[in-house]
Amino acid sequence: MTQQQRMILALALSFIFFIAYDYFMPKPQKVLDQNITTQTSTQVSQESNAAPFSAPVSTTNNNINATTTPLKSANVAPVAANSTNDTIAVINAKNFKLTIDGLGRISNYEVLNDRFRAEDGTYPNLVSSKFDLKPLEIRFSDATLNNEAFKNNYIADKSEISLDGKSQTITLVQKLPTNEITKKITFNTNGTYIVNVTLKTPTEYFLSPGFRPDTAVDMYTFKGALIRKADDTIETIEDGDAEGTEVFMASSILSMNDRYYTTAFYNFDNRMNIFISKDSEDRSLAFIKGTNSITMNGYIGPKEYDTLHTVDERLTDIIEYGFFTFLAKPVFLFLKYLHSLIGNWGWSIVAVTIIIRFVLYPLTYKGMVSMNRLKELQPKIKELQKQYKGEPQKMNAKMMELYKKHNANPMGGCLPMLLQIPVFFAIYRVLLNSIELKHAEWIGWYTDLSVMDPYYVLPILMGASMYWQQRITPTNFTDPLQEKIMRFLPLIFTFFFITFPAGLTLYWFVNNLFSVSQQYYVNSIFSKEKARKEAQS
Amino acid sequence: MFRTLWLKLLEIYQKIFTVIGFGSCRYYPTCSEYAKWQFQKNNLFLAFWHTVIRILKCNQLFVGGIDYPIVKKNLNCKRVYRYNKNKNSFIVKFWLVPVLGNKNRYYLIKTFKRTKSC
Repeated sequence: MTQQQRMILALALSFIFFIAYDYFMPKPQKVLDQNITTQTSTQVSQESNAAPFSAPVSTTNNNINATTTPLKSANVAPVAANSTNDTIAVINAKNFKLTIDGLGRISNYEVLNDRFRAEDGTYPNLVSSKFDLKPLEIRFSDATLNNEAFKNNYIADKSEISLDGKSQTITLVQKLPTNEITKKITFNTNGTYIVNVTLKTPTEYFLSPGFRPDTAVDMYTFKGALIRKADDTIETIEDGDAEGTEVFMASSILSMNDRYYTTAFYNFDNRMNIFISKDSEDRSLAFIKGTNSITMNGYIGPKEYDTLHTVDERLTDIIEYGFFTFLAKPVFLFLKYLHSLIGNWGWSIVAVTIIIRFVLYPLTYKGMVSMNRLKELQPKIKELQKQYKGEPQKMNAKMMELYKKHNANPMGGCLPMLLQIPVFFAIYRVLLNSIELKHAEWIGWYTDLSVMDPYYVLPILMGASMYWQQRITPTNFTDPLQEKIMRFLPLIFTFFFITFPAGLTLYWFVNNLFSVSQQYYVNSIFSKEKARKEAQS
Repeated sequence: MFRTLWLKLLEIYQKIFTVIGFGSCRYYPTCSEYAKWQFQKNNLFLAFWHTVIRILKCNQLFVGGIDYPIVKKNLNCKRVYRYNKNKNSFIVKFWLVPVLGNKNRYYLIKTFKRTKSC
């Protein structure tokens, strides 16, 4: 059993694990099911322009003061055919530019960072025009009030703000026949803001961080709602899985995510009560509930570790790597540390690979020593193989007996093999989910290690290194079919890795190179020993 | 239920990976085989515990070699064998070898599969 074989097995195992994980992934918990009256579609008046809400339902029997929940089918166009879509204020900062529309919502949020620019040169807009729910949108439980609110414009006290390195506040006022809503928003330069909502006449309403950003969406990474719950654990609701009835009391983070960006509310001191409803495609629409005044911290922007970490360490929980977060987060932090020293993500990945191999070196060294001893046992092994031909179990048992007797065991062991799986997946998740690694450069045409190699060079090199390693690793196959399969594996793996992020292929390639050099080292020890013995005799 | 699921998973694991031809285990029986025997013959909790310990020990810092599973069985109150159809004989699949000084603990030793009939 060689390092090589163990790694292949590790990879195959990780795939099975991955599939199984996808299949058995826990579904989000259901709360308050019994309290939600099934809203008939007739109640969602077709002619109504306003976002409809369910009528209040009876108070719960478990002391939770959750009396209403946003209606499931909130995908009805909430905007009246008047001028409420017009921009009433523009906020400019060094890193972003946002606009506020007539309904007092953030209607555009452009991330002004050249690294995130699309191929056509446009900046990512984190507020998608495709979806009706916008950040800072307010919906009321009272249907008439809600209708009014979606027909009347807010008035802003300023029409344009430039942050110029310091925080600035804008006040928006909406005068309704029966109420008056004041939104005071303080924007900070780092993308965070504080919003204060005050109502003249207290009534029940819902404030939303908006629909999730829709700029970086793919089938491999998480998109949807992420909630840091009352017990500080993280719950995620993937798009397509929203039940539309979830309620989370006393939570500290509500974050709507795509792969790289987020629009979030957070409050670690005054915790919030989160209500999740859903649209027609079972995507989460998230709200927090208030009756009179709410002061909430918010953040819109890329899920960059450093940015979030400076605001609050706990806010980094927004960056999630799926099941392997517990391992992927340390891997990412280590990679980030190396990047701060080296200054290049590609070389940092190479460094990580080599460091991991050096950590495992004591194990490998042990293996080398026992391999040396094994050399002397070779005739006895041959004898055993001959004696127990056709009885593999018995032969294995006898071999193990022999190994133990001479304190030499050529096998690598199951643990090192199994350990490779989480490491591999952690790196995979980090490459996919970390915005820091978007457009991570290496050498030549590698301008983005988080996507596949456009010229297939790394996968081919990886396959070649695998083949090379096979050639110099002594194997003793008893079955010719096994040998054939082994010989084809580099080819299979090359195709397998073609669509993987280039960074992952780079990791595997360097890993293979390390194995090759190690094998050469072992082989040279063997030949030296042999030469020495021959010289003696 | 849980037991059969585990055994099925182990079976699949063995089927797939022995076909490709990887055996990396430093022990006899191999870790997967060890797990299989444990899950067949021991109580679930103990089987799980022993399997985890075994996998942790399966690296180059340990000598490896022959390491039979130890199972807990009370032979006084449990029938551990099954008669064949004709009721006159039974096929030995496992041998239980008492662990010295440990009551109700036995080494579990599986008979070798015979490929040639004598």
